[in-house]
Amino acid sequence: MAKLMKNDLDRIKQAHQDTGKDWIKVGMSTCGIAAGADKVYDLFVEEVKKRKLDIQIKKCGCQGMCYSEPLVEVRVKGLPEVIYGRVDKEGVMKILDKHVCANTLVKDSIYELRTKR
Amino acid sequence: MDTKIVFIKDTNTKLDTTRDFYAHFLNLLRENALEDKVQVVRIADIGIYDQGLVVKFPDENIIYANVQDKDLKDIIAQTIKEGKVIKELLFKAQPKQLRIVLRNCGEIDPENIDEYIAQDGYQALAKVVSDYKPEQVIEELKKSGLRGRGGAGFPTWLKWKLTRETPEAQKYVICNADEGDPGAYMDRGVLEGDPHSVIEGLILAGYAIGASKGYFYVRAEYPLAVERVEKALKQAYDYGFLGKNILGSNFSFDIDIRLGAGAFVCGEETALIASIEGRRGTPRPRPPYPSVKGLWDKPTAINNVETLANIGPIILKGGSWYASIGTEKSKGTKVFALTGKVKNSGLVEVPMGITLREIVFDIGGGMLSDKGIKAIQTGGPSGGVIPKEYLDTPVDYENLQKLGSIMGSGGMIVMDEDDCMVDIAKFYLGFCVDESCGKCVPCRIGGYQMLSLLNKITESQGKIEDLDKLKRIALAMQKASLCALGQTAANPVVSTIKYFEEEYRDHIVNKKCRSHKCKHLLNYNVIQDKCKRCRVCVINCPVNAISGDKEAGFFVDPKTCIRCGKCFEVCKFNAIAKE
Amino acid sequence: MIKAKINNLPVEVQEGESILDAAKKAQIKIPTLCKHPDLPAGAGCGLCIVRIKGTPKMLRACCTPLEEGMEITTHDPEIVAVRRTVLELILSNHPNDCLQCGRNNNCELQTLVADFGIREESFQKFLPDVAKDDSTRTIVLDAQKCIRCGRCVKVCQEMQNVWALSFLERGFCTRISPAGDIKLADSPCIRCGQCSNHCPTGAIVEQDETARVWELLQNQDKYCVVQIAPAVRVAIGEAFGYPIGTNLTKKLYALLRRLGFKAVFDTNFGADVTIMEEGSEFIQRFLHGKGTLPLITSCCPGWVDFMEKFHPDMVDHFSSCKSPHEIVGVLSKTYYANKKNIDPKNIAVVSIMPCTAKKNEIIRCEEMYASGCQDVDVALTTRELARMIKQAGIDFVNLPDEDPDHLLGDYTGAGVIFGATGGVMEAALRTAYFLLNGKNMQKVELNQIRGLEGVKVAEIPINGKKIRVAVAHGLNHVEYVLDKVREAEKNGEEMPYHFIEVMACLGGCVGGGGQPYGVTDELRTKRAAGIYQDDQGSKLRCSHENPFVQQLYKEFLGKPLGEKSEHLLHTHYQARPVYAK
Repeated sequence: MAKLMKNDLDRIKQAHQDTGKDWIKVGMSTCGIAAGADKVYDLFVEEVKKRKLDIQIKKCGCQGMCYSEPLVEVRVKGLPEVIYGRVDKEGVMKILDKHVCANTLVKDSIYELRTKR
Repeated sequence: MDTKIVFIKDTNTKLDTTRDFYAHFLNLLRENALEDKVQVVRIADIGIYDQGLVVKFPDENIIYANVQDKDLKDIIAQTIKEGKVIKELLFKAQPKQLRIVLRNCGEIDPENIDEYIAQDGYQALAKVVSDYKPEQVIEELKKSGLRGRGGAGFPTWLKWKLTRETPEAQKYVICNADEGDPGAYMDRGVLEGDPHSVIEGLILAGYAIGASKGYFYVRAEYPLAVERVEKALKQAYDYGFLGKNILGSNFSFDIDIRLGAGAFVCGEETALIASIEGRRGTPRPRPPYPSVKGLWDKPTAINNVETLANIGPIILKGGSWYASIGTEKSKGTKVFALTGKVKNSGLVEVPMGITLREIVFDIGGGMLSDKGIKAIQTGGPSGGVIPKEYLDTPVDYENLQKLGSIMGSGGMIVMDEDDCMVDIAKFYLGFCVDESCGKCVPCRIGGYQMLSLLNKITESQGKIEDLDKLKRIALAMQKASLCALGQTAANPVVSTIKYFEEEYRDHIVNKKCRSHKCKHLLNYNVIQDKCKRCRVCVINCPVNAISGDKEAGFFVDPKTCIRCGKCFEVCKFNAIAKE
Repeated sequence: MIKAKINNLPVEVQEGESILDAAKKAQIKIPTLCKHPDLPAGAGCGLCIVRIKGTPKMLRACCTPLEEGMEITTHDPEIVAVRRTVLELILSNHPNDCLQCGRNNNCELQTLVADFGIREESFQKFLPDVAKDDSTRTIVLDAQKCIRCGRCVKVCQEMQNVWALSFLERGFCTRISPAGDIKLADSPCIRCGQCSNHCPTGAIVEQDETARVWELLQNQDKYCVVQIAPAVRVAIGEAFGYPIGTNLTKKLYALLRRLGFKAVFDTNFGADVTIMEEGSEFIQRFLHGKGTLPLITSCCPGWVDFMEKFHPDMVDHFSSCKSPHEIVGVLSKTYYANKKNIDPKNIAVVSIMPCTAKKNEIIRCEEMYASGCQDVDVALTTRELARMIKQAGIDFVNLPDEDPDHLLGDYTGAGVIFGATGGVMEAALRTAYFLLNGKNMQKVELNQIRGLEGVKVAEIPINGKKIRVAVAHGLNHVEYVLDKVREAEKNGEEMPYHFIEVMACLGGCVGGGGQPYGVTDELRTKRAAGIYQDDQGSKLRCSHENPFVQQLYKEFLGKPLGEKSEHLLHTHYQARPVYAK
């Protein structure tokens, strides 16, 4: 591809501004993957496809809370952004069923560390 | 009125009543006919510890701590109904963590360069290649006060200046990502979570010192980090952040990856250089320093991952911004890998000057078990243990060194009363003995001899003169080893002897390990009062060390016993004593 | 110049000089076991630590350059205590075999331990469980005695560019061995023995064959003859307290007779014969275009081995002439045997050599058996001879001077300078000049190709022609010369040289791997000076003038490169694998 110039940077930055779209982010560093994040990620992708949900599944690095991996951060309009910890297959289903589809938070599995942002 | 969301954290806290706080809260809401309007969510971890009950309104970002039973009514009446803030209940502490290095980790997709750019990525590079002279970059770094995060804390600007000023056409920069301290994984976190931040730092380093080529030296045991760095490099090439005429400027720069083959010592810069050159990874004497004679004998600046990840923000926000964080001599933040007997193990990034106590208790959430904290190990195998008496020491390079430990690369291991200090020293020394390159005598033989003395001590063969021998060899290692690995390998032993000599004496003189860690010093005995004569221990003992009969009771023969602990494990009546 | 203070004494040295060397100039000895004057500092042993005012650390004197204004303390109680601990640590990893060791009484570690007055073992003994490697039958590797100073590895890799030795494993298990943990004989080792010469302990020693020589001397059926190489005569004295470079040729003749040898010859005679052959070979190639130029000397067996393994494309350039001691060997069992009417089978030839590779050369190919049996039976090093002298109870120093035995014992000045780098070339050119010009050079000394410069090049005008020569010694200097030849060959240009001399060891044979320990450039220069003095003092200084050589050709060989010469005095070369398996 063509090499970028300085103003291209701003263009890309603009294009990637937050659009407010819903997403699910899975922590996919070694700590997460060791705790099963890859399976969690795959299941999210599979289920979202199956259920035809309009939500993006993203990967991200280590949030730092390695003790509670796999970590899944969810943003759905109308609910606060939260991080779910120790998410397993069952957790994935709960998050989709409740948080994404029913607009209620999944209790007892939120890790809301104040360090985030 | 929309549904209001309330987070509560009510576990591990003492209520003023025995009532279930959660149920009580729901009841109160019902009484106020608010049950449909308010969603109460119990949270597993809210990041605030030892502050009793915590109630948080995430939308308004209102946090109440130490909430009492009686406060609930006010919260419902004022905050939920009226939207007013109750000042007396507010949790006022500032956030302890400050993320500069980890700014994008967990935020962006590390495999997508656009997301990095969206977070102002490569803006520093753009700014520098168009507006800055290399000297200005170094000047900005000087203002920032950034010191090398690899462990020794050498001022980064000075390293770059010296490399820049060595007259030679070809120069190199290297990113040292051969992280190897046991329990430390800061660099891995950054490389996996935000590889572009390090790449940008490396390119900026290349620009500042006048290098046209950079290397990533990543340990092969980090396959994911390697994969992500490789992807990131390719993207950076595609976008023209690497290669010829970067962002339309005259500056051209290339980066290659080299994998470390599993030698800890290759994190030492001269050994790292030897390794890249294809030679046996052993350190060579300095001077000449790599800034004068480095890779292929050319001036080379070697910087650690974390150091490089700091460069972009420093350029963008200015050196004085960075210098406003931290202590007088140690500026900015430091990432620690907090592990051990702490509740929240993980990566934390804190401003320099924070106390150890804050890290362990306010960020780490305190101890994992009810055993009290005994010490903190920092600096990995080159560091030392800091006993609990010094928990309030502000963390910076000088303070940790004064305490007989070092900042190191950022490993921080919390230990409780179950941790035997002799055993800990043995573990770290054993690591260095395994990882010694074998080049120089003090490290190669000294480390081995010290380890054998520690083995003797933990296996009940210790003699009191062994302590002097340990100290004597330690001094020789510190003074006469060639590289930092050898010079510091004895630190865990020296610092544990300094603070916990009593424990050593206990092992040697009384043949006792108060933490019950050293199994050769343990004795298993049957507590006759508690023993129900069920013979389970007798049946399970693999060496038939337990004998006796129902009348006289059962006894463990210490000579036959191999201290496997099986009897202790299988006894249902806690009738086996371990001492 | 750098001005600084060591132990409060002002010192002034060149920029870049190490604290260790600077201290030496102030008569201060800082102990070290890994630093050798021939080699760059390896910084392995940790004994040479010193204190520099203003730094909390102790620094290594061997690799820290003296800087302006430094104030250095080399000895104080703490420094000495640390050194002592380090030394004791080395001892804890070294067997107490001193009395049976090849280096007993001549060991750097032993000396230092004695100096420090260490009387007890503080630390537990841990010895590596490694077997001796005597597979080469020239050099014995006893890794158990190794202190991992790394000198041998540096010598083998950096000085000799052979890369037979390396460090294997790491940490406490670090040991010296050929890469891949194979036997030395299967490795690229060329048996130059420089490792044994630089080893501070008995971890690498020459294969001792003195017992075999004693046995031969005792054997009534054997007619034992002996020869001494040029470089031996100026080095053996070091074992008996003589000033370095003292020429003891005539004492050696007397000594060897006392040891029981029936005839005492001199390799220098063989060198004169070599020149007749090799000189003629050169003329053939240079003047008559028969054979490839440049001609490359082949009297150094280490170099021959190195060429066959690493530079086999150079085979055609090599002089096919055997090395001088092989010539004396084969002539002893043919010419001499004939004359004296002795059955060659009963003759035993012992060569006293400055070299370990000679032990291997005597069996290297079938041409070494040209007499019908092995031409040279045993090759001893200078160090082994010194031991034999001491064992025999001979008061060497007070021996009278004697002369060699005739036929194969008398030599010219050209023969003796073989022992120093450039000597073979110089001797050959003296005779080549004669062959081309019909008269001797006016001034036979060719100073351009003497001395310790790694590569020496010169143009020698002879009879209107210019002979371009190159001399290299120390195998790391060879590639430069050979690459020039290759480049010219590739580009079809004129050859940069007509004649190349190579010696595997730095300084030539005076610095050979079998010479007394402690070699330095200063030593090499002094030994070489002894050799050049011998030449200077010789009545005859060109090989072709040697009356016994002339007699040899007249009565026995016919002419240089004649049929008989070709059969007895020449050999062949072939490519050999770098690794045997």
